Amino acid sequence: MLEARGLTRRFGGVVAVDEVSLEVAEGELAGVIGPNGAGKSTLFHLITGHLRPDAGRILFGGRDITSLGPDRRARLGIAIAFQAVRLFRGMSVLENVMVGAHAWSRSGFWEAFFRLPRHRAEERRILDRARRALERVGLGDSADRPAESLPLGQQRIVQVARALCGEPRLLLLDEPASGLRAAERERLAQLLASLRGEGLTMLLIEHDVAFVTRLAERITVLDHGRVIARGPAAEIRDDPAVVAAYLGQARERASA
Amino acid sequence: MSELPAEPPPLWQRLLSRQALGGWVLAATAVVSLLAPLGLDDAQLTIYVFIGLYTMVVAGLSLLMGFAGQVSLGQAAFFTIGAYTAAILTRDAGMPSLLALAISTTATAGIAALVGLPLLRLRGHYLAFATLAFQLIVLSAISQVPQLTGGDTGLTAIPTLSLGPIALHGQFRTFIFAYVVWVLAAGVLVMNRNLVRSRPGRGLRALATSEVGALAAGVPVTRYKVQVFALSAGYAGLAGGVYAFFVGYIAPETFPVLLSVQFLIMAAVGGLGSVWGSVLGTAGVYLLIQVLDTVGTAPGLPASAPAIFSYAVYGLVLVAIMLYLPQGVLPAIQARLVGRRAVSAVEAERSTRAS
Repeated sequence: MLEARGLTRRFGGVVAVDEVSLEVAEGELAGVIGPNGAGKSTLFHLITGHLRPDAGRILFGGRDITSLGPDRRARLGIAIAFQAVRLFRGMSVLENVMVGAHAWSRSGFWEAFFRLPRHRAEERRILDRARRALERVGLGDSADRPAESLPLGQQRIVQVARALCGEPRLLLLDEPASGLRAAERERLAQLLASLRGEGLTMLLIEHDVAFVTRLAERITVLDHGRVIARGPAAEIRDDPAVVAAYLGQARERASA
Repeated sequence: MSELPAEPPPLWQRLLSRQALGGWVLAATAVVSLLAPLGLDDAQLTIYVFIGLYTMVVAGLSLLMGFAGQVSLGQAAFFTIGAYTAAILTRDAGMPSLLALAISTTATAGIAALVGLPLLRLRGHYLAFATLAFQLIVLSAISQVPQLTGGDTGLTAIPTLSLGPIALHGQFRTFIFAYVVWVLAAGVLVMNRNLVRSRPGRGLRALATSEVGALAAGVPVTRYKVQVFALSAGYAGLAGGVYAFFVGYIAPETFPVLLSVQFLIMAAVGGLGSVWGSVLGTAGVYLLIQVLDTVGTAPGLPASAPAIFSYAVYGLVLVAIMLYLPQGVLPAIQARLVGRRAVSAVEAERSTRAS
């Protein structure tokens, strides 16, 4: 469904992502792991469209989307949950989720000004799907609260609800578990597992190896911007190159 | 996880809820604005007309700044463009006034869209100064083409508003203008209200927080920013056109930079992003200016007194609002009436979490 071919991105002289290729099949929960500074976030932003690659192409459902902006990609069915929480201030949880419906809804300024029947029907559909998405992630009771009043773990889950409200074909998650407490992390893992059970295709980019190996079928490992290993979760965990990459970092940190 | 109590709030709170309060203000505004002209003399009606015109401009500015998070310090430029276009189309091209008004409004919005494409890449202070510069450019451009605009002397004898053979003249002219202006202002406010509560309105509010997040959710950020900029300019252009028909005389000095500052203060006083607040802010600040003018022109005071008074008070009002009521007057009242319970519940929860 998603295919990245030879993605490269440089910042000044630093090659953050170096000829990375990646494939996510329909219905799969694919994982990308790597130690800090491996280029995970850069790769993520290349796939979302917030960064443009210096080389390489991205295909989605066979279509070349390399030159499309993030809003166009969202309309094609790519939804995103960010690491740095980006809930919208001054809006309720429900309204935040409703924004996600931009991916499939169409009403513009004129329809809104005059409350045309088509627009009202669409508003009802948006509201309905947003409520369903919130129920789906278990936050139905918080619909009317100000979004910024939720704890971090729930804000991440609201992001997932916002993504679901857009009825995505592919959900991209950037370090969804970072900064969460154990209970919140557990809740998120269960949610992602059950979404996978419903057939949603996902790409999970994450620092926490245990979190990813538990959920993902196939894993790609990045280090210094390059793919150093890929394969089924069980094999990856014991791959010497992967262990060395993570251990190397631990050693550097210990000696620092 | 502790949740807020789910039982419905008591009746008085529901009647004072954000939506309901908007409805009350709407109803009260409608009644007052329909009845008020009956009891006003011509001088008061003129003030009334101006408040209505400025409300349209301020409503657009409030939408632009409060919802889309974009700052404009040059909103009077669009007022100017609307006024000049409407004046030239009727006075020199002989066009019927309503058609001229429609064209000038559309043209103003169109110009804003063109200017907005590059300008809206800027943010915050930069955007504010760029819009301010735009107004200065517009004013100096008007002075440069006297054949068309009358240069610094301006345009006189602009036709009045007319519908077919019926033109607004005579004894009831101001009276009828008052109704025309307030119907237009009401239309602008209702359009704003509808927009805010809709898909594009949510998209605008989202992009004010985070353009990256809004883009990722599928919000066409650039298009929305340009559209809302053009919309606010269109409101200003419409008001400017009616202004030209009403006053019958315009010149560059009619539209000083100070007018843009006035609009900004009105929007801030009413509450940026508060649809109904723009009526309150406009009326409050405009009436204050009238009072100051009266005081400033009292016998025995120097000729510069009115200007000094108004500058000083603009400054004071703006500082006071930013210090004490940063969200604006109407939202602050709403928060006092409605929000206390909800806010304190949220804060209580936050503090228990932090401890």
